[in-house]
Amino acid sequence: MFSKPILKQTFKSSYKLWVIFTAILCVISAVVISVFDPKMISGMMKMLEGTPMAEMAGDRLSSMTSLLGMLSQQFYGMLAAILPMIYIIITANNLIASQVDRGSMAYLLSTPTKRSTVVRTQASFLIGSVFAMFLVVTIVGLGTVQLMHHALWGEGYTPDVVAAAKVLDVDKADLTDDLSLILDNEEALATGADAREIETDVYTMYLTLKMADDTGELPQFSEQAGQVGDMQNQIISGITAAADVLGVAPADLMSDMGKIKANSAALAAAAETSGLPEPLLVMMINSQLASDELALDAGIEFSVKDYLMLNLGAFLLMFAISAISFLFSCIFNLSKNSLALGAGIPIAFFVFQIMAQIGDSLSGFKYLSLNTLFDTNAIVNGGSYAVQFVVLAVIGVVLYVVGMNRFQQKDLPL
Amino acid sequence: MSVLQVDHLTKDYGSGRGVFDVTFNVEKGEVFGFLGPNGAGKTTTIRHIMGFSRPQEGVTYVEGMNSWLEPAKIQRNLGYLPGEIALPEALTGTQFIKMMADLRGLKDMTRTNALIDRFELEPAGGLKRMSLGMKRKLAIVTAFMHDPQVLVLDEPTSGLDPLMQDMFIEFIKEEKARGKTILLSSHIFSEVDATCDRISIIKEGHLMSTFVANELRHSTSKTFKLEFNSKEEFERFRAEAEATKRLKILSVKRHRNQAKVQVEDADVNDFIAVISGYSLKFFSEIKFTLEDYFMKFYDRGGAAYAVN
Ligand SMILES: Nc1ncnc2c1ncn2[C@@H]1O[C@H](COP(=O)(O)OP(=O)(O)OP(=O)(O)O)[C@@H](O)[C@H]1O
Ligand SMILES: [Mg+2]
Repeated sequence: MFSKPILKQTFKSSYKLWVIFTAILCVISAVVISVFDPKMISGMMKMLEGTPMAEMAGDRLSSMTSLLGMLSQQFYGMLAAILPMIYIIITANNLIASQVDRGSMAYLLSTPTKRSTVVRTQASFLIGSVFAMFLVVTIVGLGTVQLMHHALWGEGYTPDVVAAAKVLDVDKADLTDDLSLILDNEEALATGADAREIETDVYTMYLTLKMADDTGELPQFSEQAGQVGDMQNQIISGITAAADVLGVAPADLMSDMGKIKANSAALAAAAETSGLPEPLLVMMINSQLASDELALDAGIEFSVKDYLMLNLGAFLLMFAISAISFLFSCIFNLSKNSLALGAGIPIAFFVFQIMAQIGDSLSGFKYLSLNTLFDTNAIVNGGSYAVQFVVLAVIGVVLYVVGMNRFQQKDLPL
Repeated sequence: MSVLQVDHLTKDYGSGRGVFDVTFNVEKGEVFGFLGPNGAGKTTTIRHIMGFSRPQEGVTYVEGMNSWLEPAKIQRNLGYLPGEIALPEALTGTQFIKMMADLRGLKDMTRTNALIDRFELEPAGGLKRMSLGMKRKLAIVTAFMHDPQVLVLDEPTSGLDPLMQDMFIEFIKEEKARGKTILLSSHIFSEVDATCDRISIIKEGHLMSTFVANELRHSTSKTFKLEFNSKEEFERFRAEAEATKRLKILSVKRHRNQAKVQVEDADVNDFIAVISGYSLKFFSEIKFTLEDYFMKFYDRGGAAYAVN
């Protein structure tokens, strides 16, 4: 089936490259996961909102507020597609074509080793090493997620729960289960608000919302707002007035209503123009800030299944890509020809995918790229991707089989 | 049954390159020389014997097994020394020897170590930095390590220093004495002369002729060069040689009054009697070497075709 001596030699000549690429991937993945801060990202998004850049980025921007969304964009859509590809291109060529071109294959075939055994061993090494690469990246990624965000097992404790638990001297898990303990203790409430860097009022509101959310009783604000269209108009007029006072654009203020509360003149102007009493306005602003906080909590929520699927998808894409490179390595006797197609085609796929993402007018390019079958958005946002995965796997298997057969049939200039 | 059989092998690479209808056999215990100018098709023929290339027409057998259909089987009892030494660069010499032993399922390293000593191989270093001669020795050791019955050697001594070349020739002679069958492609006449039982000449993809080396070496005729003192004597000699038919004039240089004459050993007394009647400047024997004999095949002109 396989030749152990060949595997050993292949391992010796390829492991350095594997280690380098795997290490780079692990480090980048760990850094992307570590620096993820939902607060910062949502702040950035608010800044970008309404700008041409946000329009260009489209859906991709909104999916970046969650850790997985961010990972799928920054890591799996880019680096995890290009780095393993470079490893594959170099290694696939080294495994067959380069050895035929240089002539060192002659030694392997001047022993009682069948060509089929040689090519099967080399193909297995390529597939195995790509799989191992993603396995290591997956494990390092999960480790980092747990280490930095505690989002895997145990609970992802929010900073306020950690602080309040200390004050109340209760278990963090118990406290998470019963947040009313914080509401009942003034010191805990103050400490929790501090930890979250929000006002106590907003924090109280947040805790109430969170408890309702946990039991699935979160009131649907949007619907209520819809029913009271008049009130919405009143609020908008109020915000516009406040924006005048503060000298900022109403749209900016809309997404950061905390500013109105902080400035009494602005609050007064808003109350006057909208005709709503100040306390009501403050309450509405607080509830908005509280629901913002709730959204932040959701940002670090992490689905292990989706994460594993991202990695599986990236592996399957690379499996198919490696089959392309391996096929041409088997077909051609010269390294330069093997590389021309074995590198050229995967790189073209990658470039086409990038072009398709740049703008609507170029979106047709996605039909020319194998990379499209690895749809990170679908994986993270609950779309369907099973068929694409199967297609990638089938393409890979077919091309490997074709390549291995070709190598067994062709003339070798050794 | 011949150990190596090349039967009407044809591989046309286009524009007159390749090998065309090549047929020869190498018998058990024989050292077979394979000679020809660069690009003649020696390596191409060897590739087919090794099962690396599929014949367009014809077939090659090693110990009765079809090279293309059972390449892995024929390698069990075959040692191959490629013409171009391209070893896997990531390994050291020692690792390479180990790998080849593993690939052959070779456990007993006594012979391998003896070969390493004999060829003064220092296998410890990385293959990338090894000198050409050292790499060649390494390839020799791995070709002979499993004591194969059949050897296919493509220009085995290129890159070896003269002492090592002599050593290698001695080694081949010993292997031959042990009954090995050897196909040896070479450009070095002395090595072919010293080892080969039969010799084939290939040129431009066509097998020109096959000789039994001893018949050439121990020829029962000798070649003499004569120079006459005058034109008249020279012409008279030519006329007499023509008439007697016992003296065969191979070539003449008219302006110098020289003639090359081939004489059967049995007729040598007659020959001396004949030439004693002429006024000669000198006469000398032209010593036979295979090199003289084969040199004409290397001639780029078409003349060589006429020899067969
Ligand atoms: N795979 C190939 N495709 C096309 N032409 C080839 C191929 N292999 C060999 N040739 C051509 O066939 C001819 C014979 O080459 P071969 O290597 O057999 O010569 P050779 O007798 O071994 O010469 P040398 O003494 O230089 O080693 C050459 O003209 C070569 O260019
Ligand atoms: Mg050659």
